[in-house]
Amino acid sequence: MSLVVSRFIGGVLSRQAAASRLLLGECNPALQSPWFFPVATLKTSAPLRAEPKKKKKVDPRRELMMRERLKKKLKKLERVPPELIPIEDFITPTKCLDETRERIPPTLSFEESESRALLLKEWSRYKQKQHMAEVEAIELALEAQREALEELKMESEELYRAALKPDPLLLPFTHEGPAYTPPIPNYDAPDGKYNDVTKVYTQ
Amino acid sequence: MAAPCRKMASRSFSQLLCYFSRTAVGSGACRRFSVTSIDRATPRASTAADRATSPWSLMAAVCLQRLPVITADCSPIEQRFKQMLQQMELEKSMLSDHELRLMEDAERMSRRQADDYDSDEDLGDQEIMMTQDLEDSWEQRLKNFQPAPRVRADIDEDLTSVQRCLADSLVLLAEQQVGAEKLWLLPQAAWQEGETLRQTAERALNSVTAAGVKATFLGNAPCGVYKYKLPKAARTENSVGVKVFFFKAILADGTPGSAPTASLLWLKKSELQKYLKPAYMMNVGRFILNL
Repeated sequence: MSLVVSRFIGGVLSRQAAASRLLLGECNPALQSPWFFPVATLKTSAPLRAEPKKKKKVDPRRELMMRERLKKKLKKLERVPPELIPIEDFITPTKCLDETRERIPPTLSFEESESRALLLKEWSRYKQKQHMAEVEAIELALEAQREALEELKMESEELYRAALKPDPLLLPFTHEGPAYTPPIPNYDAPDGKYNDVTKVYTQ
Repeated sequence: MAAPCRKMASRSFSQLLCYFSRTAVGSGACRRFSVTSIDRATPRASTAADRATSPWSLMAAVCLQRLPVITADCSPIEQRFKQMLQQMELEKSMLSDHELRLMEDAERMSRRQADDYDSDEDLGDQEIMMTQDLEDSWEQRLKNFQPAPRVRADIDEDLTSVQRCLADSLVLLAEQQVGAEKLWLLPQAAWQEGETLRQTAERALNSVTAAGVKATFLGNAPCGVYKYKLPKAARTENSVGVKVFFFKAILADGTPGSAPTASLLWLKKSELQKYLKPAYMMNVGRFILNL
């Protein structure tokens, strides 16, 4: 009796489903009324296949993913490049741009400017002569050394090879250059006190 | 076609220039110093044989220089140029803090002396020092310091003192017995077996000066050579002449020791002519730079 009833209901349902399909044409199963479950999908949908929803595996995974994404964004924000240390020599101090400090440029007479131009030309001639003399002196010295090494080679190969070896003890070579006045013998220099105001930057 | 022709032309032109300059100056125009390849294949045994057959005996000499201690005086054109440069720089510059203070003080003085002077304006001016007073105090402090004199005529006359002519570089000269006569020349010593020429030069320096003299030798290579043939009477088959190799050294700072063993002179390059023989002077003058 129940079998017949169930078959009859099934037949009615399918006939009604077919009729609705025929009426509405090919339509999305989602648009159909919830009462008309297409039998084919009943068995294959995943949530219905599994156990009743417990919300354990997927959501923790999703939460972890969210946290990782947030951490990555924070790290990117924190990765600030270190601030460059300013080069104080390249920053013009505001003192120099002060207009009240400008000097009145003096007007030069014609003779003054002429004499300056002539002195500059004389100076360039003087410096050129000095430079040529220096170059000539250096070339003479080099020629003398070359001759010396040639003569040494003619004399003895061993001494020649010894002469060509570099001297490791020569460098670093330091020598105090000339000052305006000679050093005072046995001079006791006073201690110089100074406040070191150099700015130290840390990155 | 034009490009290769131009290149060839320029190359030949530069060669021409090189040739001309070489003949004109007597030394190469380009500052190349070619180091010939060291012959490693020659066995050591041949060197002793070389020395035995060579008719030249070797000596090494040292060219010890005391570099200038003070700056040289400016020549007239240098002085004029220095003054002109200072003037030009002053004109192009801006007012400094000190100058601004001077100007303010001058203004304040003129305000004080004006007829409508209000003494309430400057309160607490008594504590502030006038800039002029500051300048005077600085001048006073400078006068309290006495630097050593630049030129001392009596020491300059003494040719044996190493403190003479502090503005020029001096060369050490020693009177040594060469053959039959005593000559003024750069301190030299004969080369002995088993030492390098530089060690010979160091020995020459130590024998002539006192023990406390410190000199830095500039490298192992000689800077010049002087060849001379012995007089015909002294010539034998094995010794025709002498080759003297010169080595440069710089006198280190510090007071020299007590009286030296032999007669020594410290001379400027211009004074060397009076003491050295002409041929020797011409040779040695090449590498003694007056810079």
